[in-house]
Amino acid sequence: MKDNFRQSMKWFHTWVGLIVGWILFFMFLTGTLGYFYQEITRWMEPERPFIEHNISNEQLINIAQTYLKKNAQDVDEWDIDLPTARNQNLRVGWRHPPEAGKKRGRYESSVVDIATGEKVESRATGGGRLLYRMHYRLHYLSTKISYWIVGFCSMLMLLAVITGVVIHKKIFTDFFTFRAKKGLPGWLDIHNVLSVIALPFHFMITYSGLLFFLFTYMALSTNLQTNEDEYREMRKEIYPRTPHAQSTNQPAKMIDISVLYQQAKNSWQADELSTIEVFAANDSNAQVRFVRHETDITYNPNDEVLVNAITGEMITHTPREYTAAGIIHNGFFSLHEGQFAGPIARWIYFFTGLIGTAMIASGLILWTTKRKPQQMKKPNGPDFGYRLVEQLNIGTIVGLPIAIAMYFYANRLLPIDMADRVNWEANVMFISWALLLVYPAFRPANKAWHEQLQLAALVYIALPLVNILTTDKHLINSLLQQDWGLAAFDLTLLGVGCCFAFSAYKYKALTVDKKTSRQRVKQDKSVGNEKLLQLQRVSKGNG
Amino acid sequence: MLILICLCFPAMVLLCLAMNKHREQVLTQTVPKLMIRFFRPLAWLLLMFTAYLSIELFGWSIGPALLFGALTIAVLLLTLLLTYRAKIVPQLAIVLPFMASLSVVPINF
Repeated sequence: MKDNFRQSMKWFHTWVGLIVGWILFFMFLTGTLGYFYQEITRWMEPERPFIEHNISNEQLINIAQTYLKKNAQDVDEWDIDLPTARNQNLRVGWRHPPEAGKKRGRYESSVVDIATGEKVESRATGGGRLLYRMHYRLHYLSTKISYWIVGFCSMLMLLAVITGVVIHKKIFTDFFTFRAKKGLPGWLDIHNVLSVIALPFHFMITYSGLLFFLFTYMALSTNLQTNEDEYREMRKEIYPRTPHAQSTNQPAKMIDISVLYQQAKNSWQADELSTIEVFAANDSNAQVRFVRHETDITYNPNDEVLVNAITGEMITHTPREYTAAGIIHNGFFSLHEGQFAGPIARWIYFFTGLIGTAMIASGLILWTTKRKPQQMKKPNGPDFGYRLVEQLNIGTIVGLPIAIAMYFYANRLLPIDMADRVNWEANVMFISWALLLVYPAFRPANKAWHEQLQLAALVYIALPLVNILTTDKHLINSLLQQDWGLAAFDLTLLGVGCCFAFSAYKYKALTVDKKTSRQRVKQDKSVGNEKLLQLQRVSKGNG
Repeated sequence: MLILICLCFPAMVLLCLAMNKHREQVLTQTVPKLMIRFFRPLAWLLLMFTAYLSIELFGWSIGPALLFGALTIAVLLLTLLLTYRAKIVPQLAIVLPFMASLSVVPINF
């Protein structure tokens, strides 16, 4: 009975994983990049200046305030985002008064050059935001359909995680076991290790991912059991809104924001400002809110300091009241997105995300590795289904990273004044992915693996070089300016390229090894062997 | 954050030394049976201490999340080392926590 149960779970795990594996791979990889979406956007807007060292928060606030005074009159709300470890530029934003018939006005945001105090005109780009939005808003599909597809895949992923734990017989005795063997046992170990070491992450990310579109997936419940008012009440519970100061239309002189900042500094006992919000600027009711980097997954009222901008007094603001359900909901969101994470924790998020991606990839490869010996014995060659899986594996596992590199190439190489440039960046990415998905159909599987790995290595290593040729924000300059955020991006590209080059080299070495060992055995001339010989001839011809 | 990884790593090494097959991989000399019995409780003790430290440093909500992240990285490192460089595991398990405690870099996460 027990074995029977495990068998059926194994069957379920195998097929569920196969059906949604490629979409999950796409979701995991683009989602993982999302942990660095600000850094990616910064790289994709090379017009933005380098980081400015040795400048105090007060000086930055003054520059921002001067800019806002000049460019954002008659606006209710100002935002100032100070340079952080993630985004080294000063950014200001404001919301225009709503147009007739609309609830909210247009939001305008611009990067300010610290040296000149002027706006930086950047090229049109989707940036990191577009890339990470793809992981739940599948680019070309409509919002509703993508949410349902993503939800379906995440649900199956959750089931795959749970069944995976059930069918793993020796989860504790094999906790540290990874045997670097060829073929099936090696891939099984890789899959197991990658799953087990980041199991809390896999479970958390899938479960919280499902929570994001709760109201879509639980449509029956939200539509039938609750009426419109109850629904609004519930949303208010989850996202409590604090009414902020409204303008009274009586102009008054504000104290400089940099002076007001002293209040926040005193309250925090530290100089760690992240964002400033100014309400009813230059009005008798003006207020300024200082926000520092989050120190809690859910909500810490002390992270915000509210100051009266006319008198300079601190206002004891009533903290937003979250219910227990609201806190759990927001806590899962924050965990999923890693909003609280500093530089090292962010890199760990990134790596665990990659572990998840690699886990899915190894699972997909495991499916073909397991069936390979049997399929190769077939007189007419492997089945269509097997070849399709192999083709999609190659096209996705190596093809998608190449396509993402093409997205970055498009950013650098498409004409700056091109119409619809943002869309074309993404189009280039999906066109190259489509090509790489089709390509393996016309090549023997191990050739296609090797060639695409080589291509991946080439595009990633060449990307920083293209960056040198097309912009002045390249690796050498960013290292000289000690702009580590920017340099890290180029260095990561080189690192990824080297990983692909290494795996291409390893792949070649392993397949050559396999061939020679098979030759030594000298089996009868079966169809499989004839094919092998043909392959060898081709490879000799190439070499 | 780094200090968490540096403490999680020796805890995981102790857990792995408590298992026969891994002990043979890592250590060449035989270890007295009595000592082996202490490996597992010690590992859990160290892990509890690391959990306490992470909550002390980062608070109740962020602390546990970072602890799991640190564990993932520590186990990944250990698993790879066991396969490719098993002999340096004990040295690393001793050096890492020392480096963490001596580091003058202010702890940020």
